[in-house]
Amino acid sequence: MATDSPKLTDSVEFPSELNVTKVLFGVGTAGLIASGVGYFLNHEQFFFSWLTSFNYFTSIALGALLLVMIHHITRSSWGVVIRRIIESFSSNLWLWAIFFIPVIIGMTTLYSWTDPSYYIDDPIVAGKQPYLNEPFYIVRAILYFAIWGWLGYKLHKVSIEMDRTNDWGLTTLLRKISAPGILIVALTLAFASFDWLMSLDAHWFSTMFGVYYFAMGFQALFAVLILLAFWLRRRGVLENTISQSHIHDLGSWFWAFTIFYAYIAFSQFLLIYYANISEEVLWFYHRMEGSWIFIGYTLIIGRFLIPFLLLINRDSKHNKKLLTISAVLVLIVHFLEMYWIAMPALHSQGISFSWMDVTTMIGLGGIFLGLFFRTYAKNNLVPVNDPKLSDSLAKSYHQ
Amino acid sequence: METQASNKTLHGVLAEFRNPKELLNAAETVNKNGYTDYDTFSPFPIHGMDKAMSLKKSKLGWIVFGHGLFGFFGGLAMITFMSVIDYPLNISGKTLWNVPAWIPVLFELTILFSAFGAVFGMFWLNGLPRFNHPLFNSERFKRATDDGFFLCIEASDPQFETEKVGQLLKNAGASAIEEVYDEEDEA
Repeated sequence: MATDSPKLTDSVEFPSELNVTKVLFGVGTAGLIASGVGYFLNHEQFFFSWLTSFNYFTSIALGALLLVMIHHITRSSWGVVIRRIIESFSSNLWLWAIFFIPVIIGMTTLYSWTDPSYYIDDPIVAGKQPYLNEPFYIVRAILYFAIWGWLGYKLHKVSIEMDRTNDWGLTTLLRKISAPGILIVALTLAFASFDWLMSLDAHWFSTMFGVYYFAMGFQALFAVLILLAFWLRRRGVLENTISQSHIHDLGSWFWAFTIFYAYIAFSQFLLIYYANISEEVLWFYHRMEGSWIFIGYTLIIGRFLIPFLLLINRDSKHNKKLLTISAVLVLIVHFLEMYWIAMPALHSQGISFSWMDVTTMIGLGGIFLGLFFRTYAKNNLVPVNDPKLSDSLAKSYHQ
Repeated sequence: METQASNKTLHGVLAEFRNPKELLNAAETVNKNGYTDYDTFSPFPIHGMDKAMSLKKSKLGWIVFGHGLFGFFGGLAMITFMSVIDYPLNISGKTLWNVPAWIPVLFELTILFSAFGAVFGMFWLNGLPRFNHPLFNSERFKRATDDGFFLCIEASDPQFETEKVGQLLKNAGASAIEEVYDEEDEA
């Protein structure tokens, strides 16, 4: 094996003629400006749209951060060729914190628990005051982004350093950061989801909500990675490096986490539905009322049933067409699900799409992908000196 | 055993190879020469052997899928009959078509039947269970579970001719060749 270990044959530099970064930043800025106009027209709608879109991308970035750490701690070799992509997503989490500022500004609009007149006659919400109060909410948010930002930045930086110094000892450092990192991110992610989305209904609680948020983001992450891998290949970037077997692995992860998502989302629903305790069931009641039920069914069909059946066959897990359809579908439904979680707090009477849902998605999406491409294009596209790179390149698909 | 008694029928020609690489090449040669009834035996899986032998993808997945569907729809029919048709029971005011509550049961039945399909389907595809196999008559073949690499062309192959097959395997680099007979029960 060692004698004929494969070498990188592709250029590890991002082609300079592809100026996606500029285009994405441009589109993103336009979206943000349009959303800013929306703030003056209808600030309630703006804040809710912003929260929805912000969580859409943050959940994906957190999935990326966890995947990088899982990668290091399991010393896996399959994904070394795509690791730089995942690292680039999570390395910008510290910058991404800027886009949380509108949520803080709009806190009193978004969260009913910030209003003293709301909880004064409500002993249950009043009892949650030690946790659900404005200063602590802000402190927690800063803490989350400090932890995620540092981890994402550090893991990316050390990996880049290994490219330069060829010091394999750095893999030990990466592992040492990742081991406690997974635990800390798992906890902070769960609490962040409680703060940002669950507390929109201050009465409601679900101990599974953190896992649910993770499951959504992680599934969507693989959809993003699959589409990115196809896009890069079409542009002739890393054509011989990201092979069919890597696509197949991504497809398998995607499929596995499609099932995981369904399992978690359904478990949360079933326990609450079956116990039928009014305090817990009200959240789902609002989300099954009127036209909201249509999104509920769309989630089951679009996010589980269709990708599950399309990709169940082994050969379809590297079939470009089927993977693309499933990935695009999941990314659309990921938005619908965030919308379905957040928006009934504003539009309790039924679905009411606003143009600001689109502009905040375009704005934050453009910046999110722009930040990714900026980081990705600046460094080697593959960790060139990783000790497991040749193992990863040697992966061949066999039936 | 010394003489070729009439109650012995030829099972095939067994050839031993020194290492996985030689076995792989031999399998390729045999495959290219158009033989269909042959098999290779090694103590561990050899990468690329499926391709060398032009083996098709296993049908097992489809068997499992069919069983899974049976488990799901069979379960659905069962629960519908029991708790909607035969003995409708109002449980905490929920509808009789209490589908969310059925899902764990349907899920379990799907998994159970899929597992049955996987295990018994694998047995069936492998021709198991059986009491004996003619290849076990070969003393040398016992090493197939240890350090021996074997290829056997069976007499049932339409092209089979003992001389020709022996020559082919010898040319492919076999280190030992023997004819394996199927022994009938003496009783």
